[in-house]
Amino acid sequence: MGAAADTPAGIGLRQPPAQVGIGLRHAHYSALFETAPALGFVEVHSENFFADGGAALAVLHRARERYPVSLHGVGLALGSAAGLDPWHLDRLARLVQRIEPERVSDHACFARASPTPGAPIVHANDLLPIAFTEASLAILASNVTQAQERIGRPMLVENLSSYVSFADDTLTEPEFFAQLCRRSGCGMLLDVNNLMVNALNAGAADPLAACCAFVEALPLGIVGEIHVAGYVETEAIVIDDHGSRVRPSVWAVYEHALRRFGPVPTLVEWDTDLPPFEVLLGEASQARVIAARALG
Amino acid sequence: MSDEALRQRELLAALDHGAAVPPTLREAGARAVRGLEAYRANAESVAERALAASFATVRAMVGEEDFRHLAAEFRLAHPPERGDIGEWGDAFPPWLATHAGLAAWPWLADGARLDLALHHNERAADAAFDADSLGLLESTDPAELRLVLMPGSALLHSVWPIAAIHHAHQLEGDAAEAAFASVREAIAAQREALAAERGEQVLVARRGWRAVVYPLDAATAAWTQDLLDGVNLEDALARAGEGFDFAAWLGVALRESWLKGVAAAND
Repeated sequence: MGAAADTPAGIGLRQPPAQVGIGLRHAHYSALFETAPALGFVEVHSENFFADGGAALAVLHRARERYPVSLHGVGLALGSAAGLDPWHLDRLARLVQRIEPERVSDHACFARASPTPGAPIVHANDLLPIAFTEASLAILASNVTQAQERIGRPMLVENLSSYVSFADDTLTEPEFFAQLCRRSGCGMLLDVNNLMVNALNAGAADPLAACCAFVEALPLGIVGEIHVAGYVETEAIVIDDHGSRVRPSVWAVYEHALRRFGPVPTLVEWDTDLPPFEVLLGEASQARVIAARALG
Repeated sequence: MSDEALRQRELLAALDHGAAVPPTLREAGARAVRGLEAYRANAESVAERALAASFATVRAMVGEEDFRHLAAEFRLAHPPERGDIGEWGDAFPPWLATHAGLAAWPWLADGARLDLALHHNERAADAAFDADSLGLLESTDPAELRLVLMPGSALLHSVWPIAAIHHAHQLEGDAAEAAFASVREAIAAQREALAAERGEQVLVARRGWRAVVYPLDAATAAWTQDLLDGVNLEDALARAGEGFDFAAWLGVALRESWLKGVAAAND
């Protein structure tokens, strides 16, 4: 987690710029190395580089020579009551050793569970929602602590976009994350697009206000990275598909978050329907413009 | 079982096994259903993409639509156990082999085995050729040596022309048409040859970063199997027989980077 995040904006001093990075996906490998754009970092999905060797890992090593790398997991399933998969932890720890990333993150979700009594544990390969209860918090904090001990460094844990939630939540989501960070020593990866998707799916009267209220409810000093991305609206539901440009309302939440948290490293996520590389770089430029305005 | 574990099991069961909407959800009715459906759709999409990446030839053989259905069906029969979806799919070839709806395409499962071997090869550890180790061939009793192939090397046997099938699906346009015509002839010939238990053997090895399929004759395949099994050089040569040209094989192995080096037999 960047130390700069401990200092809120608006104290009259010009702050350092926020690092802006992009998600590095297979279709953009060549373009990245050919154009070598100025980027604060590149972020990859950790699991895509768990193999013993091969081309993908070689590409990541090459990217690491030029850019700081953020390892963002989608499969650790930190909120699973069934616990963490030791195999997964070993692979992550090996990758952390190999790449020496700037940051390591994953999600506040579950995925490992036994679907029926007596059946073996399976992995849903999805980011399934956890309850915001004391019991769920204890599981998540324990698993995060175990993961951090195994990889030898603090992690960032990301808030989800979720399409269902639980009726017996006893904590608000910001309270949940504040306590998680305090108990486990982790930081928070704040996905502002996820806030907007959740607000829209919840039918919030003023989704932007709801997202900004979430940001305001988080304590200073815990947010170590911000994600922005695009979403898609279907007839039935809003899906966090990372397949389009960042919406203006999400940029607005992002700006609000930067004003509150200061120059937090920011990732433009684009995982589906990948655009030409220049379009992705354009989104990163937009993030820098907004960061300059928020922090200037 | 804790309340949280039960809650998670109920949600997973509702997603994958069509169980009722869990009573713990805040959402009810249509809103709960569409939320669960969003997860189901994503799970099926992830499964299809993962299997398509590992089983490109199978997908090309059956077509996108049928492959999508197969992936969804396979996910429920053999759900992933790891958070790295790239690790999933080892059970796909045998599952295809026993799938009643695919009985008319008996070569499909062997094609899947070849796809899987290619997939594993491209994820295998990187290794450099140990040229110095060749000196052991001059200085050491062959009974105390073995030849080591590169990590990820695999040998497959099939009664079907899997190398030709794989090759045909790498091509486009007229070249593909000609290759498919050749495959159809080979399959017809193979059907006749089944009774004679004639087969095809291929080596999967890495060329650069890409896994490549090398058709092998029977003698070379038997030799390669011995190397993969760690048989010492003296025994492997004896078993290969006079029909096997070791010097010629070594030349190809060095040129194609099959060989990692020479090691002590008990190493």
